[in-house]
Amino acid sequence: MEARFNQGPCLEFEALLEDHLSGELSGADAKKLAEHLENCAACSTALEHAAPSVQLLRAAQPAADPGPGFSHVVMARIRAEMSKRGEQKSIWLPFVSMAWRFAATAALALALLVTFDAVRHMRYERQSSLAYVPKTETRDLFPDPAGPPANRDEVLMMVADTNHGKH
Amino acid sequence: MADVPKGMAASASAISLPARARKREEEAELVRLAQSGEEAAFEELIRRHQQRVFGLVNGILRRREDVEDVVQQVFLKVFVSIKRFDLRAAFSTWLYKIAVNECWDYLRKKKVRPLVYETDLSEEQVSRLDGAASAERPPENPARRAETNDILDQLLNELPERDRELLVLKEIEGFSVQELAEMLDLNVNTVKVRLFRVRARLMDVYNRRIGSHPEHPAASGRSETDGSKI
Repeated sequence: MEARFNQGPCLEFEALLEDHLSGELSGADAKKLAEHLENCAACSTALEHAAPSVQLLRAAQPAADPGPGFSHVVMARIRAEMSKRGEQKSIWLPFVSMAWRFAATAALALALLVTFDAVRHMRYERQSSLAYVPKTETRDLFPDPAGPPANRDEVLMMVADTNHGKH
Repeated sequence: MADVPKGMAASASAISLPARARKREEEAELVRLAQSGEEAAFEELIRRHQQRVFGLVNGILRRREDVEDVVQQVFLKVFVSIKRFDLRAAFSTWLYKIAVNECWDYLRKKKVRPLVYETDLSEEQVSRLDGAASAERPPENPARRAETNDILDQLLNELPERDRELLVLKEIEGFSVQELAEMLDLNVNTVKVRLFRVRARLMDVYNRRIGSHPEHPAASGRSETDGSKI
């Protein structure tokens, strides 16, 4: 026998040990377990220890039959619960439909507002493109005062302006 | 309200494979009728499964006052959500899963902890339980059986909750390992291993409570096989 005292049963045989106790072991598995039990003290001890649980639990009573009237009781409860839920739904129904109407109106108003804004924006863009004046033309009309003088006359004009400012 | 098709009301026990397939097909038909709003079909489904759902809920809650109420709640939930059931799995598997979840919800909401009896067992209780462990058949006298049941409950209540559920559902309420694996979303082998281990723990409790009893003749002998080995 293997020296496996003070240890639990072999992990790979625990399921087979349970099958053995439940009476569900047969064929090759039964032979495999029988051979293993001959050589494994830990599994033999574990089986011996757990075996009386089968008889012990057999003494317990399963749940009593609820009786033929139980399904009627359940159906009555289901009907009561469903009608209660229906009533709760009908109490809130006017508010729900009002909320839906409000939501639909708000959505429509928002859509109109967005459309109006988009159209107005498009019109403005079109008008601004018609009124476009190239920058070069404006520069000719109003020359940049900070720019350097282009010729001798401009230099003289600047000097004159400066002197005039001093007096 | 339409009548349930003829023959559907007949319950079957110990059925062969073709009969099982036929029963499953009948049940699928009942589910389809219930999904279309036939209350009679749903009531028939309740009749077919009430015993097992009762066993399942009782197995998890262990004789609490609310077992019947929880079972009703389970069927109410099933009624409300039956249209979402797609018939790919067996109806019973789906129903048992709802029942298990309902029980766990109940235990969570109520924050119920299993009562652990640490009172000493009387000499009579010891001999009764000892007799039960060695007897081939359970006691036939209903009063005696109920009493043995009460003592056994004291032992079971000392086990971890989830493991106790497995053991009770398998050994007392008669659910198969396959059914347990499906309803608890566990691997079949995992269920078997957990069952074997919880048996050992039950016997540890048994040996501690019975074997150490001063009046018990096997007090010294039994305690040697206590759980340290398992």
